Amino acid sequence: MGKLTRQDIDNLAKSPKKTGAYIKIGMSTCGIAAGAQEVYDLFEKEIKAHNISIDLKKTGCLGMCHCEPLVEIAVEGLPAVIYGRVTQEIAQRLMEDHICHKRLVNDHIYELPVKRC
Amino acid sequence: MNKTILLIKDTAASSDTTKDLKAAFEKTARELGMEDSVQVVRVSDLGIYNQGVVVKILPNDLIYGHVKPEHVEKILKVTVKEGTPIEDLILRNVVSQTRIVLRNCGVINPESIEEYISNQGYTSLAKCLLDMKPQDVIDEVKKSGLRGRGGAGFPTWMKWNLARTSPGDQKYVICNGDEGDPGAYMDRSVLEGDPHSVIEGMVIAGYAIGAKQGFFYIRAEYPLAISRIETALKQAYDAGLLGKNILGSDFSFDLEIRLGAGAFVCGEETALIASIEGKRGTPRPRPPFPSDKGLWDKPTIINNVETLANIAVVFQKGGDFFSSIGTEKSKGTKVFAVTGKVEHSGLVEIAMGTPIRDIVYNICGGVLNGKKIMAVQTGGPSGGVIPEKYLDTPVSYEHLIELGSIMGSGGMIVMDVTDCMVDISKFYLRFCVDESCGKCAPCRIGGFQMLKLLEKVTDGEATPDDIETIRRIAHTMQKASLCALGQTAPNPVMSTLRYFEEEYLQHVQDKKCRAGKCKKLTRFSISTDKCKKCSLCSKNCPVGAIPGSKEQGYSVDQAKCIKCGRCFEICKFEAIVRS
Repeated sequence: MGKLTRQDIDNLAKSPKKTGAYIKIGMSTCGIAAGAQEVYDLFEKEIKAHNISIDLKKTGCLGMCHCEPLVEIAVEGLPAVIYGRVTQEIAQRLMEDHICHKRLVNDHIYELPVKRC
Repeated sequence: MNKTILLIKDTAASSDTTKDLKAAFEKTARELGMEDSVQVVRVSDLGIYNQGVVVKILPNDLIYGHVKPEHVEKILKVTVKEGTPIEDLILRNVVSQTRIVLRNCGVINPESIEEYISNQGYTSLAKCLLDMKPQDVIDEVKKSGLRGRGGAGFPTWMKWNLARTSPGDQKYVICNGDEGDPGAYMDRSVLEGDPHSVIEGMVIAGYAIGAKQGFFYIRAEYPLAISRIETALKQAYDAGLLGKNILGSDFSFDLEIRLGAGAFVCGEETALIASIEGKRGTPRPRPPFPSDKGLWDKPTIINNVETLANIAVVFQKGGDFFSSIGTEKSKGTKVFAVTGKVEHSGLVEIAMGTPIRDIVYNICGGVLNGKKIMAVQTGGPSGGVIPEKYLDTPVSYEHLIELGSIMGSGGMIVMDVTDCMVDISKFYLRFCVDESCGKCAPCRIGGFQMLKLLEKVTDGEATPDDIETIRRIAHTMQKASLCALGQTAPNPVMSTLRYFEEEYLQHVQDKKCRAGKCKKLTRFSISTDKCKKCSLCSKNCPVGAIPGSKEQGYSVDQAKCIKCGRCFEICKFEAIVRS
């Protein structure tokens, strides 16, 4: 990225948000300690294996430390939801059921009522 | 077509009726021919507690509470099919977090400056540098009512203004990321999750006071935070948001990182300055305050990570917006790291004025295993305990000080009835004794002697006079210590004495510890009436202090017992007696 001008910043800030499918994994110290890296690696491998077009992203800590690692998934036709305490086995199920077959997975969703400013 | 999702969760502590309800929803959906457009999902947690079965409907974002089987058909027909909310079922009193500081944490990729900017990042910097004079910037911060989030709550604008008006050819901005309170990790999460927000706050602060140079002071124990800040600094330099003539203005600003080497006292501003200067990290008397003579004797402001992360929002939304959140004297939000005996530990950002009870019970899901709460500790080793009867107190600088605690940097430790208040205060005092730099006598000697006395109390060897001596030493430390570490070190002791004096007296007079934490006052034995000779305690004793056999029964060998309480916790028949 070159030097930015005010115009560049305003354009980027005003541009509509990307709406495509994504997987976000909380990868701060807390998430990594709970095994987020292994989960990330698994998703990375599976996305390649299934040849799916989905954005795999690392994010910071969402604050729900009691249920790390946290994985947020948004795919077309389904609202974005957050899964907690994701192990590699659960990640595998998320990949197959949620991402490939568009069915949410029972018993692993953690919601958090938040107003963001 | 988008699918409608019903997230269901039984939020009552005792039961789980979601299985039947989920089946009822699915059966009715099939009957209505909606099975392809609706999915019912059982969830682990909705962040809502004690509201019966809660159904959250997505993407409508409706939350229904106390849902019963008779509501199933109506919900599917009226809300899912026709899109109309059912007013009677809507849960209106959901306690939610308000996120300003953590706005981007867990949302954006912290290693991408583009994502930060596309979430309104650096627009405040552009506004400040290109549209506003430094004094306007300070006035806007004044309007916001933002106060220091490091704990003391000094008005941020005043700190900036003092440094701005103080004469000096060079001035400095320091970000205090030397987070050291036991159980607190808000700053780490912000540095790791949204590094650019802190950088933006620092550049704005630099512009406001007329500084050309800033320093991040981050403890070396936070390697990931350091590496994310390094990445963010490089990106900001490359994008021309740091360095010479930022965004084409006349303003130039450089930022560097300095690592804290693990001394708690270096979170104190004068010790922190000494540490950056390469000297031994010990405090010095104030005045002169850093805003007059700080780093290398130049005017310096030191702001906490969380304070700086608020700055960008003050300018994005305006000072008036910011001051509309919170109480009369405490504006905005506060991030707490809630730990200890709670069901759901984690970071919680709430608007100032939210009662402590809401944080514990409605956001964090209540006390672990449904036990009774004893107290909440805030402010770490400089703070105090807030007993159960004051839990409805709203969170604000003033209210917490009235209760003998402080806001602190944001550690909040929940304690239940199995915690001994004397033991807790001993823990915090020992922390301060370990971390005392030793420069001034009240802190060095007072802390040590007070700890000795507390140990006498927990060993059952203290006399009522010792409690008076503790009070006297505490008073001396508060009045005569050089820096805040020593001045506030007695706070946990004083506040437990204030609210739980009877517990101290129990230790002193009756030689008893209610919670069974003080090992010298606790003795475990096996009640032969209740014991079923299952051998569980014997197998689980880590030191083999429970000999016996399934035929003969078991007993505790007092000479070997280390009083860990393991047997007491695992016995299914309450046959272990703690006295």
